[in-house]
Amino acid sequence: MREIVSIHVGQCGNQIADRYWRLILREHGLTESGVPKEGSSAAASNSNTEVFFHRIRDGKYTPRAVLIDLEPGVIHRIESGEMAQLFDESSIIRKIPGAANNWARGYNVEGERVIDQIMNVIDAAVEKTKSLQGFLLTHSLGGGSGSGLGSLILERLRQAYPKKKIFTFSVAPSPLISDSAVEPYNAILTLQRIRNNADAAVLLDNEALFRIAKAKLSRSPNYMDLNHIVALIMSSVTASLRFPGKLNTDLGEFITNLVPFPGNHFLTASFAPMRGPGSEGQVRLNFPDLARETFSQENFTAAIDWANGVYLSACALFRGDVKAKELDENMAAIRKTMNYASYLPSQGGLKIGTADTAPDGFASSGLALVNHTGIAAVFERLVAQFDIMFDNHAYTHWYEGAGVSREKMAEARDCVADLAKSYRDAS
Amino acid sequence: MDSTLEKQIASASRSVEEARRMAYNDPARVGELVEQISVLADLRQKEGDFRKAESLYRESLFRVKDLRKPDPELLAGIHSLLAYLYDRWGKMDLAADFYEKALKISEQHGFQDADRAATIKNNLAMIFKALRQNAKAEKYYDESLETFKRLYGEQHNKVASLYNNLGVLHYANLDVDKAQEMHERALAIRQALSPAEIDPGDLSQTYINLGAVYKATGDFQRAEECVDRAKRLRTTLNGYTPLPRRSASLLLDRSA
Repeated sequence: MREIVSIHVGQCGNQIADRYWRLILREHGLTESGVPKEGSSAAASNSNTEVFFHRIRDGKYTPRAVLIDLEPGVIHRIESGEMAQLFDESSIIRKIPGAANNWARGYNVEGERVIDQIMNVIDAAVEKTKSLQGFLLTHSLGGGSGSGLGSLILERLRQAYPKKKIFTFSVAPSPLISDSAVEPYNAILTLQRIRNNADAAVLLDNEALFRIAKAKLSRSPNYMDLNHIVALIMSSVTASLRFPGKLNTDLGEFITNLVPFPGNHFLTASFAPMRGPGSEGQVRLNFPDLARETFSQENFTAAIDWANGVYLSACALFRGDVKAKELDENMAAIRKTMNYASYLPSQGGLKIGTADTAPDGFASSGLALVNHTGIAAVFERLVAQFDIMFDNHAYTHWYEGAGVSREKMAEARDCVADLAKSYRDAS
Repeated sequence: MDSTLEKQIASASRSVEEARRMAYNDPARVGELVEQISVLADLRQKEGDFRKAESLYRESLFRVKDLRKPDPELLAGIHSLLAYLYDRWGKMDLAADFYEKALKISEQHGFQDADRAATIKNNLAMIFKALRQNAKAEKYYDESLETFKRLYGEQHNKVASLYNNLGVLHYANLDVDKAQEMHERALAIRQALSPAEIDPGDLSQTYINLGAVYKATGDFQRAEECVDRAKRLRTTLNGYTPLPRRSASLLLDRSA
């Protein structure tokens, strides 16, 4: 058994959790309160439910999840919704009065008061596993709780579990749409911690998600649709742990293949076929189309500079009814179109996994995780936004007031600028 | 690992979870949670997992602080438990910090429990000694000694312990005469205690310390005599030396 503990931090992290757990429940044939559905499909009963769930009395399953927010809003909505009975109350942590969009408050002031409780709850969740594989963390880089408290959790998690894999799903600020002026500060400070403490991070950005959703849906998308895409990606990353397949891949294998240099572990993902919730079954793609859509550049979830960069590595995971011959032929064709770094083998590394069970409602699906040097553009943009404000001392007093000096902020900025440079150098 | 300890930890963890659920639904029940957490933290400490014990104690600290009316006695208690943990962990500066905070809280709220304040002072002094701040250590030992004398009179085990600790400190300061005086006083008290009150471990410690002092003054005959007595006491103990586990207990300086 290779269990995974999911940690959801902040408003964004918990909204993703809401969609994500609904999806996982359906994949494993469980009801919203964690009880196996009557006459659930053979695939569900064949699955390895214990990866994500802990079995408690009466055959009920409870997610190996820790929900954390400094504001009670989103968690309260989960609790009062359909999944009210699902989560264990002892693993939900809410604290008032919020981090007020300030990384330093989430990391120092409010974080200090609550981090020990969080670590105790995580320790308790880990003790219920037999052989923990790692952690999934969902959060946003721009807000206060997800970024500041998320950073603190990453640091403490790495100290406490140095050998476990930490995989983050981090929602980055969009290039054009911005929720708040201090987003670049929060993002830069968090990216430094992700670089130093996580094993891999999938960057997601709302604008790209919005674009994807808009192209595939007939109506204008809402946040639920965006989070649904994130949920599909997260579920696919872990699919081969949970469902039998011919080519098994686990988190460790993904990470070994995807991270060519230490610290360069920022990935972007793509899921195909992208359809709105409820309309998945309507389209049945043949495999060549599915493979092409999986690796289509418009389909990736971060604003990557595809033109000025090369692939460092890529992984693909296909779920559902996929034939080995088709898989080999089509992936060879796709490999040829991908522009790998010159020092990598001519065909580049393209790790492939399969799982027999497609996500609920799909006949087959594809997931791509790639490490592309064009991701430097995301960091460069954030550093540029950071510099303009920082050089004019705009908003920095909020951070200094909560114990993060300008030196610390500059240090984080240099770390991220260095990260961008190391990606550019790798091209 | 000890399987009974493992079982105890598992059941304590379950109680903590149950208490968390209760406190989640009814914040007024945080007190019970803090109690359960302390039990688990204590077991964790026994197990040797200081990190987990630390975050458990710190959780209860912040839980109590979050209450509308934090109970100062509880706060002082958690502070000194944490300090004791840091002491065992070897994080002396943190230990000193938390003992001082605990003291400050007890002084601010004028606790009746002078015994506890004096105990904290004694333990704090030991930490300052470990940090080589002997002047501070002596000050705290003296204050602690004063309190114990006032509470129990001269003829008491705790007073003897303080004399012992002061003796060790003076010995470390190379002030052998003062050390001798202190250990002799400790011995006088310990020998005069009723048989039920005599702790053979403590008594033998006093003989050993006194032996070291006599050796330093060149009086080898008396030194040997003391060590012999200590040895005889030790054999009756079968190697069993009970160590104080909770910070509430008075620590005895056994380093000499």
